[in-house]
Amino acid sequence: MRIIKILLLLAIIPALVLGAISCQTLQSLVGPKAKLEVIPAETFLSPALIRKPVTFNGTGFGPKEMIAVEMVLPSGMKMKGLAEGEDLVGLAVGDTDDKGNFTAAMKPMATLNWFFQVGWTPLLRPNFKEARPIPPGVYKINATGLYSDRVATSSLKIVPPPKKKK
Amino acid sequence: MGKRSAIFLSIILAVCLSIAGLSSSAFAKEVEYLSLADYTGPIAGLNVPADMGLEDYLKDINAKGGVDGVKIKLIGIDTRYDTARAVSAYKRYRRSPKLLVVNSISTGIGKAVARLIERDKRLQLVPGDGEFQAHIQRTFIWGPAYQDAFAATLDWVMADWKKKGKSGAPVIGYLSWDNPFGRELLRGGKEYAKKLGIKLLPPEYFPPGTLKHDVYLTRLAKGGANYIHAGGVDPTPTNVIRDAHSLGLTKKIQMTCGYWGPTALGIGVHAKALEGTVITSFYQRGEESKENKVVTDLWKKYRGSMVKFNEVYGMGMSWGMTYVAGLKAALKAVGYDNLKPDDMYKAYQGITGLDKYGVQGACAYSPTSRRGSLEVKIYRVKGGKIVPITGWRKAPDAVSLHKF
Repeated sequence: MRIIKILLLLAIIPALVLGAISCQTLQSLVGPKAKLEVIPAETFLSPALIRKPVTFNGTGFGPKEMIAVEMVLPSGMKMKGLAEGEDLVGLAVGDTDDKGNFTAAMKPMATLNWFFQVGWTPLLRPNFKEARPIPPGVYKINATGLYSDRVATSSLKIVPPPKKKK
Repeated sequence: MGKRSAIFLSIILAVCLSIAGLSSSAFAKEVEYLSLADYTGPIAGLNVPADMGLEDYLKDINAKGGVDGVKIKLIGIDTRYDTARAVSAYKRYRRSPKLLVVNSISTGIGKAVARLIERDKRLQLVPGDGEFQAHIQRTFIWGPAYQDAFAATLDWVMADWKKKGKSGAPVIGYLSWDNPFGRELLRGGKEYAKKLGIKLLPPEYFPPGTLKHDVYLTRLAKGGANYIHAGGVDPTPTNVIRDAHSLGLTKKIQMTCGYWGPTALGIGVHAKALEGTVITSFYQRGEESKENKVVTDLWKKYRGSMVKFNEVYGMGMSWGMTYVAGLKAALKAVGYDNLKPDDMYKAYQGITGLDKYGVQGACAYSPTSRRGSLEVKIYRVKGGKIVPITGWRKAPDAVSLHKF
């Protein structure tokens, strides 16, 4: 019986400690639920994305906070610049207004580096000969409030480019 | 011992071992340095050798037992010069209690991360944006501000002008990248030129990656420039001067550059075109750098042959020297167990005067200064080599001339 009590204590104490650690995470759940919209939700990779980049709209975050928008890489996917085991890459940075809403568009550097995975010439120009565009698929996108820790999730579908008409 | 007691003790032992296994790092005294770098992006050519210097310096310190037994872990992140990636990477490491310093490779990255740095009570290093000196916070620059170094170039220009027997003040052209970094030198630099009576032509800005600079150079030449200051990060200044040379402008116009002007990278490709170019630098360059035993001994120890040596390696070592000095002071103040990032921030402000073995001027960080050093040295490309033409000299404070 005493052993059962001790074992129970051994289970309860770590649970309490972990609970305290995750208190901050719990706090982030308080308040409105954060939402994220990816515009467009579906696209194919083309140079047009430099001029009209993928944009992220978010609501339900803390007021006046910085937002990191990141793409979750599917298991086993490799990306230029990311180390083994890294599964997140930043796509955009935004700032919320007084109401906790934000809009952030991908900068050309982000589109070139993370969608096209270009190389760079010594002349500081993107080298498309070394490009390894990310494969078509559905990619999970997270937006995280860097002060509130609130997280909203959405997805971006990359489809194959349309076939050229002969 | 009964069977039940043995089972009980085995369970306790297993729990303890698994906890120990999960938190093995808790037993090794270790602190972290996060480099938000560019290893495969547009300015990798300079960032890679700089981080090699930092890496080797810290490796050497660790090999000697660390700082008072505390080892330093360098976390290098390849941001590919992208701010979103850098912010995401910092987000990943920001809760690490022993992450003491973050080095951001670009002004843009630095400005984005600075807001989190303030919140997290940590310290950040960035290249040379004068705004961080104008508004003292937790971001420190590597040397004098960009505009300070530009003002030092203007001082040299005035002296050179007079040495040539000319009266009055010369006309100066300025061209650089069309981005905040490109414009930064004139935030204070423009005011300093006015103070000296120098006529500064309207600046020419071009997008990074521009292949030819003839249009901008021709406009400055037609404007009557006696001197042209080529901005951007090497190899951009090298390419600008290459174009000026092709246009025949270098025969009558003196080309000057700031501290990201030609290094071994540019000299290796366009030595002839760069001949006579004047470079104002806060870190030791060219032949001098190759003669600095502290720098070359470390390079040879970890990298071998000097063939691929670039002088920014020494600048990377300098980041390591500052970190080690700051860590020593922080450990002395609070000890390892109580050490927080804020203690490193406090320590950096007290390492004023730290000697950098000739790599750059003495450390100038203090409660009122975010400048890594105050001095610059003027170099000239002669016979395909970068040689000093002055000693270390204090750069004017151009930051204070501008309203930020």
